[in-house]
Amino acid sequence: MLNIVEIHKTYQIGPTEIKVLRGITLTVEKGEMLAIIGPSGSGKSTLMNMIGLLEQPTSGSYFIEGKKISYDNDRELSKIRNQKIGFVFQSYHLLPRLTAMDNVGIPLVYRDMKEKEIKERAKEYLKKVEVEDRAQHKPNELSGGQQQRVAIARALIGDPALVLADEPTGALDSRTGQEIMSLFKRLNEEEDITIIIITHDPKIALQCKRKVELKDGVIVG
Amino acid sequence: MIIKANIKEALRSLLTGKQRTILALIGIVIGIASVIGMISIGTIVQHEALRQFEDMGVDILTVRKEFDEKNKAAKFKLSDILELKNYSPIILEVAPYISSGTTFSYGGKTMYIDMMGVTESFFDLNKLNLQGGRFISDLDEHRFFCVIGSEIAQFLRKAGFENPLGQQFASGERIYTIVGILKAISEGGGIRPGNINMSVITHITTAVRVQEGEIESFMARVGPQSPSQIKAEIQNYFSKKAKGLNLKLRTAEELIAQMEKQMQLFTLLLGAIGSISLIVGGIGVMNVMLISVAERRKEIGIRRALGAQRFDIQSQFIMESVVLCLVGGFIGIGLGIVISYVFSYFVKWEFMMSKSAIMLGVGVATAVGVFFGFYPSRSAARLDPIAALRS
Ligand SMILES: Nc1ncnc2c1ncn2[C@@H]1O[C@H](COP(=O)(O)OP(=O)(O)OP(=O)(O)O)[C@@H](O)[C@H]1O
Ligand SMILES: [Mg+2]
Repeated sequence: MLNIVEIHKTYQIGPTEIKVLRGITLTVEKGEMLAIIGPSGSGKSTLMNMIGLLEQPTSGSYFIEGKKISYDNDRELSKIRNQKIGFVFQSYHLLPRLTAMDNVGIPLVYRDMKEKEIKERAKEYLKKVEVEDRAQHKPNELSGGQQQRVAIARALIGDPALVLADEPTGALDSRTGQEIMSLFKRLNEEEDITIIIITHDPKIALQCKRKVELKDGVIVG
Repeated sequence: MIIKANIKEALRSLLTGKQRTILALIGIVIGIASVIGMISIGTIVQHEALRQFEDMGVDILTVRKEFDEKNKAAKFKLSDILELKNYSPIILEVAPYISSGTTFSYGGKTMYIDMMGVTESFFDLNKLNLQGGRFISDLDEHRFFCVIGSEIAQFLRKAGFENPLGQQFASGERIYTIVGILKAISEGGGIRPGNINMSVITHITTAVRVQEGEIESFMARVGPQSPSQIKAEIQNYFSKKAKGLNLKLRTAEELIAQMEKQMQLFTLLLGAIGSISLIVGGIGVMNVMLISVAERRKEIGIRRALGAQRFDIQSQFIMESVVLCLVGGFIGIGLGIVISYVFSYFVKWEFMMSKSAIMLGVGVATAVGVFFGFYPSRSAARLDPIAALRS
């Protein structure tokens, strides 16, 4: 599914260099469910954003489905983000002025799909995450768990091969968190979607087939 | 689909209407209204001028004596003017006239009128029409018969004279008899002398005697020769008849040119107001857009993460800016139409609205939206997705 080879990421803040990722090499196979764990500040989110093509590595190379990513082609990057990757963020990142349904439909808007078709698909995916009765609600009218479900529906609507979730349960109570995890597991098992989850919660990490631990920008286990 | 979603999004962000949005719109509204007003008032004036000239004919000109300190003695003589048409084959007909302003009172009401003295040919040259009675003829020399303009007739009717024909009135020590009433007539684009509708017209010999004035101008119908040729011919004739007489010719062509020059000034003025307001409005729109981009950095980050290209973000914000300007543009077009309608109403000219003006208004509004939305939308498109998401 994806190959990361010797990736470094360095932030330059004034005269000081912050080396956040220091030589990460990682291979993720199709259909894997992978947990990334590690202390705060170890570079987990940075790595995740790299995998999600939101950030460009300082050095190293990255292959998705055997194809090397070239970072100077915005069209190509956007297309991969749109068609191959689904993002689930810790703080949901829903657009406050849009309804749940319109939020879910955003990825398809960038595929030039017809409005009617988008609405139908969005409804279908809201049903999949069991919030179809909230389709016309704005995010601020939803509970945290519901918002996260909407965000997951949005990540899935484009039929991605890879779902990236950065602390998807971080803002939820443990029961709701467990429900979300079950949803991920089901997607992974039933639809063979590759899932990478960042988490602090050992209980959640335990439910993943594989664990990768990050410390100070290197993989330690 | 993207376009529809973007327009919806643009209207939504507009409807959360903030003061600065409204302020920016005012500039656009005034700018577009000036553009529309400028063009349609121009059309109205042009149309009216053409109509008047058509009505009058372009073969008529006016010759005026120019005041000259050194040659005070040089004067038009009635017989010289009348003879001009025998002298030159280019001059087909002449109509000397004399005119002076005075007041006319009846029943406690006063109106400002012109006392005119003319010859018989004045009627044809000016394409006048009668409501009733007859016009001044050359048999009226030195007699106190007069023809009145339509507005004077109306004034008299209001004062209680059902039929002013045959009525007599006193002016100074003279008693005039009304023998004819003219129909209302336009100014002929400035070719017809004075305001005929508000004139009391007698034979020129009568008027010269009463006003103790001199003849300062005459109208002429001329052949198809060039204005300079005609001018030379007339000048040549009068240099023999009255040495030192300075002549000034007013032709229809000259008047059209003059009118166009005035229109140009007017157009320039409205154009200046229009472009200044458009620039001010455009900068306002740019400001609104910059703030909108800053407030929605996170949205931009989210959209980028979900697959929006830079181009998509850029078009989203350009679209928003264009929608904003078009809203202002349509209000401005409405206002411009109202302005030109009010104008045509007050000058009593036919109201006209050109489709091209409306299209230009829409075009200009769109162009302002694209131009002033370009920089904010480009900065939105260039935001680093991660930095935008973090904000
Ligand atoms: N844009 C940036 N500029 C400078 N430093 C950055 C930037 N982004 C991240 N960092 C630094 O990189 C380090 C790793 O950040 P990262 O967000 O990847 O950590 P994390 O493992 O996800 O932590 P947490 O568990 O708290 O979310 C931190 O020290 C952070 O300060
Ligand atoms: Mg993190």
